[in-house]
Amino acid sequence: MEAMRVKTFLSLLVGFAGFTCQPLFGQDKVDFDRAAVERGRTDFKSSCGFCHGEDATGNRAPDLIRSAITNHDVNGNLLDPVIRSGRPDRGMPAFSNLRDKDLADIVTFLHSQAYAALHSAHVPGDYPVAKLLTGNADRGKTYFDGAGGCTQCHSVTGDLAGIAKKLKPIDLQQRLVYPETRGKQTATVTTADGQSFQGKVKDLDEFNVAIVDASGWYHSWPRSEVKVEVHDPLAAHRELTEKYTDRDIHDLFAYLETLK
Amino acid sequence: MRRSLLTSILFACSLQAGSVSEGLDPAALLKPATDTWPTYNGDYSGRRFSTLSQINQGNINQLTVAWMSQVKGVAIKSTPLEVDGILYFTTPDNVWAADARTGKQIWHYLRESQGDHIGQRGVAMYGTWLYFETPDCHLISLNAKDGTVRWDLELADPKLGYFATMAPLVIRDHVLVGVSGDATDVPGFLESLEPATGKVQWKWFTEPKPGEPGSETWPQGTDAIAHGGGMTWMTGTYDPQLNLTYWGTGNPNPVLNGDIRKGDDLYTCSIVALDPDTGKLKWYFQPSPHDTHDWDAVQTPVLFNDTDNGVERKLLAQGSRNGYFFLLDRTTGEHIVTAPFVKTNWSEGIDAKGEPRPKREKEPKPDGALVSPGSDGATNWLAPSFDPQSGLFYLSARRLWSLFYMTADGKPEGWAGRDRNLWATSFIAAIDYMTGKVRWEHPIGEGEGTAGILTTAGNLLFSADNNDNLMALDPATGKTLWHVPLGGRLVASPMTYELDGRQYLLTPIQNVMIAWALPPSK
Repeated sequence: MEAMRVKTFLSLLVGFAGFTCQPLFGQDKVDFDRAAVERGRTDFKSSCGFCHGEDATGNRAPDLIRSAITNHDVNGNLLDPVIRSGRPDRGMPAFSNLRDKDLADIVTFLHSQAYAALHSAHVPGDYPVAKLLTGNADRGKTYFDGAGGCTQCHSVTGDLAGIAKKLKPIDLQQRLVYPETRGKQTATVTTADGQSFQGKVKDLDEFNVAIVDASGWYHSWPRSEVKVEVHDPLAAHRELTEKYTDRDIHDLFAYLETLK
Repeated sequence: MRRSLLTSILFACSLQAGSVSEGLDPAALLKPATDTWPTYNGDYSGRRFSTLSQINQGNINQLTVAWMSQVKGVAIKSTPLEVDGILYFTTPDNVWAADARTGKQIWHYLRESQGDHIGQRGVAMYGTWLYFETPDCHLISLNAKDGTVRWDLELADPKLGYFATMAPLVIRDHVLVGVSGDATDVPGFLESLEPATGKVQWKWFTEPKPGEPGSETWPQGTDAIAHGGGMTWMTGTYDPQLNLTYWGTGNPNPVLNGDIRKGDDLYTCSIVALDPDTGKLKWYFQPSPHDTHDWDAVQTPVLFNDTDNGVERKLLAQGSRNGYFFLLDRTTGEHIVTAPFVKTNWSEGIDAKGEPRPKREKEPKPDGALVSPGSDGATNWLAPSFDPQSGLFYLSARRLWSLFYMTADGKPEGWAGRDRNLWATSFIAAIDYMTGKVRWEHPIGEGEGTAGILTTAGNLLFSADNNDNLMALDPATGKTLWHVPLGGRLVASPMTYELDGRQYLLTPIQNVMIAWALPPSK
């Protein structure tokens, strides 16, 4: 899949809402009626799950999430007749006694399952901490205080105090490896006449450098005319990225997650 | 473009009466392009090297804007065609024809559609007809003269998750089209259509049918192979002498979870050689067996020849998204070189076939696995280039680290997870194709590069950095020879053509097309 596709897609999701049982592909964010989805899940399980799997991903009968009928269905126009009449030629019984309301719930459940699969290319912000807590906090502390060199810049009673309260678990794990991608660099720029300027890096490439100084003023120079010393507080994080084992990361996370 | 009398006559016989005065003779594509740019990659080789040298190292500092032209909407990610002084370029839902001398619009075709609008790479041309793929996975044939629709057909069901972004490839009387879409677990394919009618000539599916060779690399007795993905995102290349067309295929599905598709999952993440007349597979090579990181292998399979101990070698090179450079014998698919161009941590080693074997422990995990490169890849769709003068293979490369999470509970479907990017730095890499070693690298900044590469006989390499600078480098050393800040990203690949004896360099910057040339002589 192409770079940045999902990120772009997710950014498009913001600000769109509203649910109708429309075909799912190409649609912006859909807010399903959660109560209807759960009722539908229960009904599906009892009426359909034995053959189609409790989550509708198929068992002895086909997967309904990847089904053309589900994905072309609009408000039950295709699913209803199949459920009501069955497919006797393929061994599917008719469910003619289902109430309209229950049928609508099942249809909503199927659409929500298909939507979830279609939009599974992200890690939700509320990703369960239990899935992440596979490390050993004691080993994490040892790594933090020792091999990781974390205490050279950080303190669990200083800048990291209560960090697990401030960040969602999934964000904490990501940021412990690499806090932020941009905006942390500072630079000292020395001009030919010996003047020195310091500030946050605003722009830096092989041709020009620009900083914003402590008073908030912007300065820029051609790189060829000045000496530039860049200070990157995240350099240690980059170096560590190439050294971490997955166990180190999970141990560190288990340790930092105790800082509440 | 110029045509010989003979090919014009042959062409006139092969098309409908009255359609031959302008346009593109498919027979002309059998020879490398010189002054024109008639296909997505400029010619069949995919090397994106132009023999034009009017703009060269001696005068690059005089390069100036010849014209600019803005279109409404999103960034142009297509490579324009240039045929008979007319440019044809696209964004999703849109095709424009413009005067290659002035940038002035000749016509605009708009067809609003549902579906994924992530990008559009361009059109293909056959005679006086154009072929354009859409976000709802249709193929539209237009009259190049005025942008009117000849026909419109659905390539695959967009409701099942298919869409389309690629520029088709014309090989004689075949229009080869690929499809996109890996959010759902649908099979990828490549299709050959009749230029006049769109009638299907053959269809090659990325996954073999159960029982066919390659099917043993999927679980038996499950439906995994029928939902295996493998999209044909990017335009292939073609060797007229061998009559083989080379394509990269996309990643398998479910994307980040390989447990229900144990095995190598052929022919996903592969380079395949097909007979363009039948769609029959001649050979394959798989850069990423059993991929679980979205590292499709659709990066252009670039074709060139060299001589080894007096014997000509027909070669194919790919800088692959998984961080490895591959050099193959394109007659047989036999592996010659496999070498990483960035540091990666996902492979336990290279097997006898030259394919990197994945480490099980670096598959996405519920608690996260640290992997380089991230899913955006060590390179991506951005065009690579091979310069026969320097003998180097160039690509836009990234050092990119990510935490990969397998999030699915129950049976995984769709992506079933995602990675979270940590950091990336980008550079242009010049690779010695004989060893796979990086000869030089030119940093282009933090983040992920978005610009493709063009090399020319003027001893120039054109690309852009991540700070909005368009640049010309010395292909031999990587030294910057010229640059200009443009206030926007090059999210496409540059191309060049000659018109009225003047060489133009064309660079889409966001939604503005900029043509560069030397100052007029008078």
